[in-house]
Amino acid sequence: MDPETFRRDLGAWLDDNAHELAPPYEGAGSMDEQMAHYSYVKRSLYDAGFGRYGWPESVDGLGGSPLLRAMVGEEINLRGLCDPNPWTMIEVLVPTVIEFARPEVAAALVPPFLRGDEMWSQGFSEPDAGSDLASLSCRAAKTDGGWLVSGQKIWTSFIQYAQRCVLLTRTGEPNSAHRGITALLVDVDSPGITYSPIETMHGRLDFAEVHYDEVFVPTERLIGEENGGWQVAMDILPYERSTTFWHRGALLHRRCSDLVAHLVANGDHSDTAAKALGHAFQWLVAFRSQSRDTQHRLANGQQLGVETSIDKILITFAEQQLFGAVRDLLGGVVEFDDGIDAAMWRTDYLYSKAAPIYGGTAEIQRNIVARRLLDLGPES
Amino acid sequence: MSGLVDAEDLALLATGFEAAMAEETRPAETDQALFDLGWAELLSAAPSQGAATAFRALGTTNSAAGLLDDVVANTLGIDISPQTCVVFPAPHQAKAPAHPQGDAVVVDGLVSARDEEATTAVLAVEADGSVRISTADARLFQSPVAGGVDPGRAFRRVSVEIPADALVPAPAGGSWDSAVAAARTALAHQLLGGARWMLAEARQHAIDRAQFGRPVASFQAIRHKLAESLVEIEGAASVAEACLEGPNPLLAALAKSLAGQAANTTATHAQQVLAGIGFTAEHRFHYWLKRMLVVDTLFGSASSLPAEIGHHLLSRGAAPRLIQL
Ligand SMILES: Cc1cc2nc3c(=O)[nH]c(=O)nc-3n(C[C@H](O)[C@H](O)[C@H](O)COP(=O)(O)OP(=O)(O)OC[C@H]3O[C@@H](n4cnc5c(N)ncnc54)[C@H](O)[C@@H]3O)c2cc1C
Repeated sequence: MDPETFRRDLGAWLDDNAHELAPPYEGAGSMDEQMAHYSYVKRSLYDAGFGRYGWPESVDGLGGSPLLRAMVGEEINLRGLCDPNPWTMIEVLVPTVIEFARPEVAAALVPPFLRGDEMWSQGFSEPDAGSDLASLSCRAAKTDGGWLVSGQKIWTSFIQYAQRCVLLTRTGEPNSAHRGITALLVDVDSPGITYSPIETMHGRLDFAEVHYDEVFVPTERLIGEENGGWQVAMDILPYERSTTFWHRGALLHRRCSDLVAHLVANGDHSDTAAKALGHAFQWLVAFRSQSRDTQHRLANGQQLGVETSIDKILITFAEQQLFGAVRDLLGGVVEFDDGIDAAMWRTDYLYSKAAPIYGGTAEIQRNIVARRLLDLGPES
Repeated sequence: MSGLVDAEDLALLATGFEAAMAEETRPAETDQALFDLGWAELLSAAPSQGAATAFRALGTTNSAAGLLDDVVANTLGIDISPQTCVVFPAPHQAKAPAHPQGDAVVVDGLVSARDEEATTAVLAVEADGSVRISTADARLFQSPVAGGVDPGRAFRRVSVEIPADALVPAPAGGSWDSAVAAARTALAHQLLGGARWMLAEARQHAIDRAQFGRPVASFQAIRHKLAESLVEIEGAASVAEACLEGPNPLLAALAKSLAGQAANTTATHAQQVLAGIGFTAEHRFHYWLKRMLVVDTLFGSASSLPAEIGHHLLSRGAAPRLIQL
């Protein structure tokens, strides 16, 4: 499928179905509403075929370049058809699952995710293992036909909606660091899994604390090698910074246009407004340009790696510039106002504070750039 | 050649240019050497690609060669030569540097080092909202100003009034706006070449210099400064590269603004990493720093361009998606 034709056909289809695909709720909606609408949009795209391109046939896709997936998410976000966050999970987790899980497991489990019938989670972080992910301690003990998992995860996004979770467990000695980690694909309805959602500062139940108490995971749910989980995790992280970021960049473009429209409506053509706006926009373009190179490398079959830390730092900067400008230029809307628009600006402003935290903090990204891209030798 | 030159040829030319620019010759001699190497042919075969290659080298070597004169004149459709210079806009601006006043034309702009030996000068004059391009005897613009921060005196201010009848209308060529965009793209590449040089200099110093019994490169505060410099450089470079895909004035403004910002950030961080030695006249860092300060102001700066870009978005009513997959 030629990307240009794909983009044109996709755009036409989205225009034709604009009414059906628009969120049935006003503003951001509740989380339940958001998830239900995400499933609906994902399912509609699957049925129309567009949602299957860019994924291999082995998991019910229609093949073609990953650029096609980048385009789908871009158009969805530009049109504001559904919240970008649930959408990220498939892009983050599935490319690695396809590469590292047993083919029959991927073939059986990925299609419902692709159809929007399921949600998956990423169980990496623990209370005592955040940036220092390799120190994680959630234990997987060998048992007949599989593992028994016991321990705790935290900040697991969307677990209350999820059917599966990509879980990092400790299978080596407690101090085996990255050498003794194993990745497992766990059914969330397995006996022994309990969770309690945690409210974020922007007032949502985005993530949760999850307890695993002797949870049985069968052997075939191994992702990669036993004690080879670090490689799986390192494969996932660049995906977290490629297609999903392209999608998020489109959302930021839409919000930047919303800001422009707001200023124009208020008759604010001041130099102050123009300068803050131009500053935010220029970093958005820098991110988008850098991320385009990343999308093309991915599409050309190149292995993504540490260079995607640059994308992460750029989008974080762009996001913070943009919503910083929103707060500065909207004259109290973020701080004081009622109404749907104000609530959306407030939500986006607050959520921009998470950008330097999730997916590896701002400091960790700089550590990576310094060590791996600038080759500065070890840190003291 | 259809706008693009072979990548191998470009690499070869880049090496030749860099060597010529690195020679300690007067700017006029450097200009002549670059023309001898095929600079004019490159610019006519591949205007943006060729300029990017040469300007990256300008940034790396910190040469004061007058290539900006050629990029602007060439875009305006005027024959280029080492004896033809251009009057550039005043610092932080991109509007034509001259306007008529009675029988005179008031000029407030900048000239490059080439102006000292040039015979013909190109002048853009703005009147009634449109820009007319003329040529005149270059001696009319020879700037008495000797000062300025840059010891290489790559650019100097010129403020003069000249008689209107000293101007000869140039044949119709490219628009002033297209010359501005070409200049901005080229200068973005120069700023980034310079920023990469400063980053490399600071990186090497951080590795070589030991304090508290270990390389200062091992301290996180130092590492993060260098990392942030690289991120800004790469983000800006990616936009500067995108400018080579086709003319786009807004993208060129963004590239120049981002490159100026990246160069400023890198200069500040590199200065801090170099510390005492980097503050001396003996260390060569200050030559790059000072040239950066000057080049940043040409055709709009990192501090003036965001407002220009923002006004553009406000009049357009939306934030366009400039980069497509
Ligand atoms: C909205 C959101 C969604 C998330 N979703 C998920 C999810 O779905 N699954 C999941 O597994 N996790 C998720 N996370 C967790 C996220 O990955 C972690 O918060 C992150 O890795 C940081 O860990 P921490 O919060 O424990 O901070 P810490 O690691 O405790 O860091 C505290 C501070 O110290 C700094 N620091 C730590 N180490 C260093 C160092 N070596 N050098 C310099 N500074 C350092 C950090 O940068 C930070 O500023 C989510 C987080 C957020 C905010």
